[in-house]
Amino acid sequence: MKIPNVLYRNNRILLKELTKTDFKLRYQGSVLGYLWALLRPLMMFAILYVVFAKLLRLGGDIPHYPVYLLTGTTLWSFFTECTGQGIQAIVQRGDLLRKISFPKYIVVVSTTFTALINLAINLVVVVIFALINGVEPSLSWLLVPLSILELYALSLGISFLLGAINVKYRDVVSIWDVLIQALFYAVPIIYPIAMVANSSGLAAKVILLNPIAQAIQDVRYNLITTETITTWSYLENPVLKVLPIILVVVLLTVAALYFRRKSKFFAEEV
Amino acid sequence: MKRKIGTRREVRTESEYAIEVEHLSKSFILPTERAWGLKQAIFNRLRGVKGYREQRVLNNISFNIRKGEFVGIVGRNGSGKSTLLKILAGIYYPEKGEVTINGSLVPFIELGVGFNPELTGRENVYLNGALLGFSNKEMDEMYEEIWKFAELEQFQDQKLKNYSSGMQVRLAFSIAIRARGDILILDEVLAVGDAAFQQKCNDYFASLKGNQTVILVTHSMENVRKFCDRAIMIEGGKIVKEGEPDVIAKEYMKLFS
Repeated sequence: MKIPNVLYRNNRILLKELTKTDFKLRYQGSVLGYLWALLRPLMMFAILYVVFAKLLRLGGDIPHYPVYLLTGTTLWSFFTECTGQGIQAIVQRGDLLRKISFPKYIVVVSTTFTALINLAINLVVVVIFALINGVEPSLSWLLVPLSILELYALSLGISFLLGAINVKYRDVVSIWDVLIQALFYAVPIIYPIAMVANSSGLAAKVILLNPIAQAIQDVRYNLITTETITTWSYLENPVLKVLPIILVVVLLTVAALYFRRKSKFFAEEV
Repeated sequence: MKRKIGTRREVRTESEYAIEVEHLSKSFILPTERAWGLKQAIFNRLRGVKGYREQRVLNNISFNIRKGEFVGIVGRNGSGKSTLLKILAGIYYPEKGEVTINGSLVPFIELGVGFNPELTGRENVYLNGALLGFSNKEMDEMYEEIWKFAELEQFQDQKLKNYSSGMQVRLAFSIAIRARGDILILDEVLAVGDAAFQQKCNDYFASLKGNQTVILVTHSMENVRKFCDRAIMIEGGKIVKEGEPDVIAKEYMKLFS
């Protein structure tokens, strides 16, 4: 069986052009345009900051808590945008699928690339925010892209798997919408994981097995403060330490294989 | 449900045939009543209803097309022509049988694939070009030509939604004819634009004749007679007649008398 090759000339051209189109269309007709890519996570941050840091006084003893929170919301926004768009990619691009033959994964990858571009812009804001807040730049910042890569791989895996199912059963989108709401509270974004650890060590451990939580904590550790609890530091069992990463790799592999098998019939079923 | 799959191969050989189709069959799984959504799927499973029926669209079709041949495919609506084309183009998978494509294939199932009304003419040209496999650099070189041929130079930076449908098709056609492949597949894309533009299109098709392998699906017997070396008539998913364009054109007209 032929392995789809990203470097194959036509696929590369198509991927580039579709990503560009997607990015252009996303904010078409809005006055502020691309600025919304920045404004959305900032607004979400502002709301959460007022409610949780000021009113409920969470994260009082965490150094640079605003940056800590902004990092979390930015990465979470990326995850929701990436999966939300990725799952619907095949159905939304049904017109293309029915008229030309090309590797279907390109459609999914191009929409998720748009989320990746938005994240890159947002991370610039995070870094500026961090510097203003007095976070010392350090070499560990260079490790941040690794965590983002992991988060992207996870999003891509979910997009491939659910996106393929969504072609036949459109309920998937609605289910995912609800699921992601629940997931938000299962990830230490607004509450510090230390707070959970204080009352139940086991609960904290379970939370940290979630690849999203692991990635976000790692970014906070490398970007803001080494006082952050990470999966690596908190779990003793060496297998559990790397379990989130294994989960991501397995999910992406299974999802990609499933997607490839199903993609043969997308043109007929979409 | 496990679905059967035939084979479609793309090769590059010295064989005299550009396309070989052997015993090709294709059915579609059509949902009966409303079988969409998870709820209905579960209901159907519980009730023992299949929720779909198979519609046979192509039934054991075999034919060959030589390199450089201009072949017309005719038949009434719903006879399976477009499905056949889509299988040749690799959009649908064959269910049974074997399809061999010898050389690079450029399909025009529809003009202006991927055209987006919210984008400008310029942006759409590049996007559509990318779908045909042209890089930005290649498009830069053809860019002026495309607009000149379409006679729409002054509308380049307008959004496509402000174009008339005739203008859109003209633009799409101008991009499409830049595509270079060994085999061209055209699904009723001939009648484009007004009389003057029609003449341009006809010149283009005339220039293809003899130089390129072309498969043309059309309802215009005039075009079949004018361009095709050979024609194939399809009826109910089967080839009913194959031969001289003139003979097939007459046979086709009989369908409606």
